Amino acid sequence: MKKLLFKELRLSVATISYFFVAFALLAFLPGYPILLGSFFTALGIFYSFQAMRENHDIGYSLLLPVSKADIVNSKFAFSVFLEGCSFLIMVIVTVIRMTALKDSAVYRTNALMGANLVFLGYALLVFGLFNYLFIRGFFKTGYYIGKPFIVFCVVCMLLIGLAETLHHVPGLGWLNAFGSDHMGLQCAALCVGIACFALLTGAALKQSVRSFERIDL
Amino acid sequence: MSICEVRNLCKEYPGFSLSNASFSLEPGTITGFIGRNGAGKTTTIKAMLNIIHPSDGEVLYFGLPLSEHENEIKQRIGYSTGAVNYYPKKKLKELVSVTKTFYDSWDEGAYRQYLDLFSLDEGKSPSEMSEGMKVKCNLLLALSHRAEMLILDEPTSGLDPFSRDELTDLFLLLKDRGITVFFSTHITSDLEKCADHIVYIREGRIVLADTREQFHEKLGAPGETLEETMLRLEKEARHEKTAV
Repeated sequence: MKKLLFKELRLSVATISYFFVAFALLAFLPGYPILLGSFFTALGIFYSFQAMRENHDIGYSLLLPVSKADIVNSKFAFSVFLEGCSFLIMVIVTVIRMTALKDSAVYRTNALMGANLVFLGYALLVFGLFNYLFIRGFFKTGYYIGKPFIVFCVVCMLLIGLAETLHHVPGLGWLNAFGSDHMGLQCAALCVGIACFALLTGAALKQSVRSFERIDL
Repeated sequence: MSICEVRNLCKEYPGFSLSNASFSLEPGTITGFIGRNGAGKTTTIKAMLNIIHPSDGEVLYFGLPLSEHENEIKQRIGYSTGAVNYYPKKKLKELVSVTKTFYDSWDEGAYRQYLDLFSLDEGKSPSEMSEGMKVKCNLLLALSHRAEMLILDEPTSGLDPFSRDELTDLFLLLKDRGITVFFSTHITSDLEKCADHIVYIREGRIVLADTREQFHEKLGAPGETLEETMLRLEKEARHEKTAV
């Protein structure tokens, strides 16, 4: 697995994917739907899948002494690695916004979602959906990337729209809590995000191994 | 003992089926796999490498079933679909630096030796290479991990006669070094020059798998070249089919 991950990062990755990880910094922007940062990270990973297909990466991987399941595992490891890097940036930005910048007027008057633990939970949900809808969809054929990515985009945009709306619903204002306000609820929301990410990614991996094993390349 | 044994391999596709393909390959020999386009050569080769799943039958390498020892077997064999068609913009040295990490038996000395023998420049990317060089690139990767057997799908297709000649010479050199070569082709003159054995496939069925001499004896007519024999057999098969 280590060798395959090295291969992914050395050969397969499209350099632009690393650039898109930096979009996690969007979490600093007030008056911007910051959840789009996780969408852009996913878009960056999509570019790598596109490059892999153009470069016949699957054909190359099949020449190596690895199983088809190993190939699937490595693609997931690569994607989760980039998602992890992006998430780490979001965590740092969120911590800064929740502490040093918690009383900043520009954030306090922001009508859109702020960076808090709920936001991090949503970001993980976006990554989980990407793994489940896009990567799993890709491994149904090992070739087509358009349809699974469109499905992910539609679901992701609906989720972002919903997330930006919910904290305006009476009684759900805590979703956009500042600093350590409603910390219990914020932690619970983050835990839900972690659980969703783990479940969606685990299910996607399992189903991808099964379907990729079945297809004739 | 055979280095590779293909037993009753079957694969169904809409409009095509590979039926009970069976043959074996001896160590240190060159075997040509011939048949017209669409006869089932690539399907057989892909099934021999677990790239497609046969509906029945099994493949053994070094006496071990592929289904249970895939990684171990792939460490000892090399496979190529003709020319390198992956990562066309990456330099050969980048491809090598990643590829070699996967092989326990990677031999840097052998790599340098074959690099020299094939006159390849590791600073070039496949997109900057001729078709012949791309085929050699694949061979380089396979031979540098000391593959005992090479499986090559149409390695001579798209090559000019000089490059084909050079490649068949190379196969003979590899044979002298004890490497088994199995390659598919529809260019019969390649086989005349270097093949010890011939496996002939038609419409998904192995017609004959035997030595080149036995092939001439069993299927050829006096004075016929291999190409003439093949053409006659294919025409006869077509006539039989249209008569039915």
